[in-house]
Amino acid sequence: MVSHLIKKLSMFVLLSFVLVMFILAMSDLEFLYNNAGKVFFSNNGYYDTGSRNLVTAIYLDYRLFDSLFEAGILLVAVSGVLWISQHNIKEKNATFMMDKQKTPELFITFGRVLYPVMLLFGLYIILNGHLSPGGGFQGGAIVATAILILYYIDISKEIDVHVIITIEKLLFLLLLGVSFVSFFTRGEIMTNFMPLDGDIELKQIYLYMLNIIIGAKVALGLVAVFTSFLKEGR
Amino acid sequence: MNPILSFIVILVGIYGVATSKNIIKSVFSVTIIEAGTILLFLNLAVYEGGLIPILTELGMDVVDPLPQALMITTIVIGSTITSLALMLCIKIFHHFGSIEWKVIFGGDK
Repeated sequence: MVSHLIKKLSMFVLLSFVLVMFILAMSDLEFLYNNAGKVFFSNNGYYDTGSRNLVTAIYLDYRLFDSLFEAGILLVAVSGVLWISQHNIKEKNATFMMDKQKTPELFITFGRVLYPVMLLFGLYIILNGHLSPGGGFQGGAIVATAILILYYIDISKEIDVHVIITIEKLLFLLLLGVSFVSFFTRGEIMTNFMPLDGDIELKQIYLYMLNIIIGAKVALGLVAVFTSFLKEGR
Repeated sequence: MNPILSFIVILVGIYGVATSKNIIKSVFSVTIIEAGTILLFLNLAVYEGGLIPILTELGMDVVDPLPQALMITTIVIGSTITSLALMLCIKIFHHFGSIEWKVIFGGDK
C-alpha cells in the first residue's frame, strides 16, 4: 500500500517537473513562432495552388510529402487490423446483431431516409475540399459512415474485405502516380502538374483528382476496419 | 494561459498511461494525449479577430493554416492507431481471457 503511494507521489513530482519545464519553454514563444508562415500562405497560397482553402493548399501541394505518408500509414494500419483479425473470406459480416440485439425498426426506417443524404453530403465535402471546409479525409469519413448505416438497414449484405484492401492499395499507387506526374511537366516532384504561371481554374483539376482519390481511400479503409471489428464481435 | 491548459491535458494522458490497470484505459489515455496535442497546436495560431483560413475574398486577415494542416495528419493517424490497438486488445482478451495488465504479465493468478 505504501509503495503504491510512493509510486503515485513520484509520478506527480515527475509530471509537475515536466509542466514547469514546459512553462519555461513557452515563455519565449514569440521567438519560436512568428507569423511569417501566415503572411506567406495568405499572399501566395491561392495563386500557387488554385485552392481557396489554405489548409488544402498546404496538404495537397506544399507538403504533399506528408499527406502521402499519412495515406501510407492509413494503408498499413488497415492492413494490420485485417491481418490481426484473420477470418474466413466467405463468412457473413454482421450476423451477431441478428442474434443478440435486434436493430430497432425506427432506426432502420430513418436509416433508409438518411443514407442517401449522408452519401451526398460526403461527396459534396470531398468535391468542395478546395473551396470550403473539408477535403478528402473528412469527406471520406462521412462517406464511410453512410456506407456503415447500410449494415443496420440490411444485415444480410456481404462486403469482401480483401477486395476492398486491394482497391485501396491500387488507389495508393494511383496517388503516388499523380504526385509524380509533375516531374515531367514542372521538373520537380510532389506538386501541382499544371505550370506555375498558368490559369488558376486549370490548377484546380489536380486538387479535384487528389481529393477524390484520398476520399475514396479513407472511406474504403474505414469500412474495412469497421467490417473486421463486426466480424470480431461474435 | 491556453497552451499551459492544453499541456495539462497531455500530462493527464501520460498519468493515465503510467497508472491504468486496464489495457483499454491505456488506449484511451493515448487518445487523451492526442487530444491535448491537437488543442496545443490549434491554440498556437489562433488570435482575436483572425478568420478561418479560407480565402473567400483576397486580402482577408486569416490565421496561420500550417498547424491546422498538421493536425489533419494527427487526427487520421490517431484514429487508425486507436483501431489497431483496440483490435490487439480483442486478440489479447481471446488469448489470456482478461485485459488487465497484471494478469497478462503473470502478476497474480
